[in-house]
Amino acid sequence: MTAEVADYVVVGSGAGGATAALVLAEAGRDVVVLEEGPEVRDEDRGLGSVASFMHLFRDRGTQVAMGRSVIPILQGRCLGGTTVVNGAIVWRLPEDSYERAFGSIGARDAIPLAALEAKMDRIERDLSVAPAPDRLLGGNGSRMRDGAAKLGWRGHSIRRNVLDCQGSGRCLEACPTRRKQSMEVTYLPRAARLGARLVADHEVRTIETSAARAVAVTGRRADGSSFRIAVRRGVIVAASAVQSPCILRRSGIGPREHVGRHFRVHPATAVAGVYRDPVRLWEGATQSYEIDEFRHEGFKMEVASLPVELAGVRLPGMGAAFQRSMADYPNMAVWGVQVLAEAEGSVSPARSRTNIEYTPQRQDMERFRKGAKRLAEMHFAAGAVRVYPGVHGGPDVLTSPDELAKLDDLSLDPRDWAMMSAHLFSTCRMGADERSGVVGFDGAVHGVRGVWVLDASALPTNLGVNPQHTIMAMSMLLTERLAS
Amino acid sequence: MGLGEGAQRRIAVVLADVFGESIDVGREVAAFLDDYLRRVPSRAALGLRVVVWAVTWLPILFVGVPLPADALSRATRVRYLAAWSGSHVYLVREGFYLLKAIALMGWGANLAVRARLGVGPLAVVRG
Repeated sequence: MTAEVADYVVVGSGAGGATAALVLAEAGRDVVVLEEGPEVRDEDRGLGSVASFMHLFRDRGTQVAMGRSVIPILQGRCLGGTTVVNGAIVWRLPEDSYERAFGSIGARDAIPLAALEAKMDRIERDLSVAPAPDRLLGGNGSRMRDGAAKLGWRGHSIRRNVLDCQGSGRCLEACPTRRKQSMEVTYLPRAARLGARLVADHEVRTIETSAARAVAVTGRRADGSSFRIAVRRGVIVAASAVQSPCILRRSGIGPREHVGRHFRVHPATAVAGVYRDPVRLWEGATQSYEIDEFRHEGFKMEVASLPVELAGVRLPGMGAAFQRSMADYPNMAVWGVQVLAEAEGSVSPARSRTNIEYTPQRQDMERFRKGAKRLAEMHFAAGAVRVYPGVHGGPDVLTSPDELAKLDDLSLDPRDWAMMSAHLFSTCRMGADERSGVVGFDGAVHGVRGVWVLDASALPTNLGVNPQHTIMAMSMLLTERLAS
Repeated sequence: MGLGEGAQRRIAVVLADVFGESIDVGREVAAFLDDYLRRVPSRAALGLRVVVWAVTWLPILFVGVPLPADALSRATRVRYLAAWSGSHVYLVREGFYLLKAIALMGWGANLAVRARLGVGPLAVVRG
């Protein structure tokens, strides 16, 4: 049952919202968490890609950014948000990323790195964060480890929020054994035990204000009926870098020249290699090993154990040739490169959907080209007999490291690359005042009282590392301050 | 928005050739596409439906044959599909990959395909 009034309404139940809800509940506040998507039942877990897209992802997995090319934008839409369907990667915010995000806007005193690290310590204890053990590397991760070792590149087992992982390779389908310590099995139930009310299937559309202060949220339930909940103290918006700015825009809240602007992502692409011996992508952790040797060059590499129904899209060939390519699937390793992109796009609400505009810059594409070549090089070092770069206009397949130079000529046109992104940032970015951003260093929206944004949209820029941990730490730090 | 009976029958022939499968598998993938179109948001469904229509009815533009794709000889159909996937026009190429990506989810869910690749069941088996 939906409450009609609460101290705080938290909009969104992902990394930022769940953390805020727990902190408020621990402080004894009366909290309602509103999630647009459904609850995640045990029978919804591990059903394969299609069922997962249909039930757990925004727009059933069809959301895209439009620009010079079309880029799929994957987001969870369920109780627990994207934490339910991500690869369970937990990256402590490195100092250089902290400087890029918070130092560059003059927030070192307001949000010190040490304060974020203290929150990360707690989060890591709460979510059982640990490096993936060797038994979970699988054929995909162990080959990346071997390839990097031969090349002398710095890599490591991924630190994951998983407790006693069974290695079913189904992180992206909601962990079938509930071992992933995502928000719907950790912070949300803890908050509920402390009195927070979790309400699924409730989409917040607008925040009502009176005398420049938030007084209520309004929206619609999954059955189409409308609801309104009054707030005594305020509204915490944590609906993602796509939805949070849309709520502010529909509500007429925040500096218009910044709300929904500055949209940043980590676009990613994958390169597949085929080996003599079985790799068996479906065994081990979905994402178990990564290379950060090139992080300071603007890209980072991770294994990406894709199921067969997603792995074949960019493999070349039709008919019998496609069959030959897919017959290699058991022996195939798939690795991705994610780019610290400098391009900015925008997000805006439309009547029944969200418009996302984004086009990578030339510098971003150069990083892609370097990253793809490095991935191919690492595949060969690990023993691959064939590598599929998957870039239009480039070679369909490489069969020897002697051919790597061909990748120097890969196109820099985004339309020739198969990209996607799940790391989205900065559409309500933090700034000292309303001339530079949407929220202040306390997460409060400039120009209105009682509205805070505590998700990836408030981050001043993209980080170059997986953002869940930083989102949670920032949300925890700033919510503790407002709760006290 | 789904696929009519005729559209489903025609695209099944095309998809069987895309994946190098029997017409029975092609029909199952076409049925998957029909179900998918009915479940996704209308904007996405419209885009995919347009691609299905175009792939079915535009051999005249790509290979100069005034027949629907399912009525082409297999060799001509494969040449026709290769023209889509290798097109220098982004929207044409990407449209084909959209169709292939969605159809692949149906292909990858096929029990015979999964057994052949040795990848186990699509969904976890609950005891």
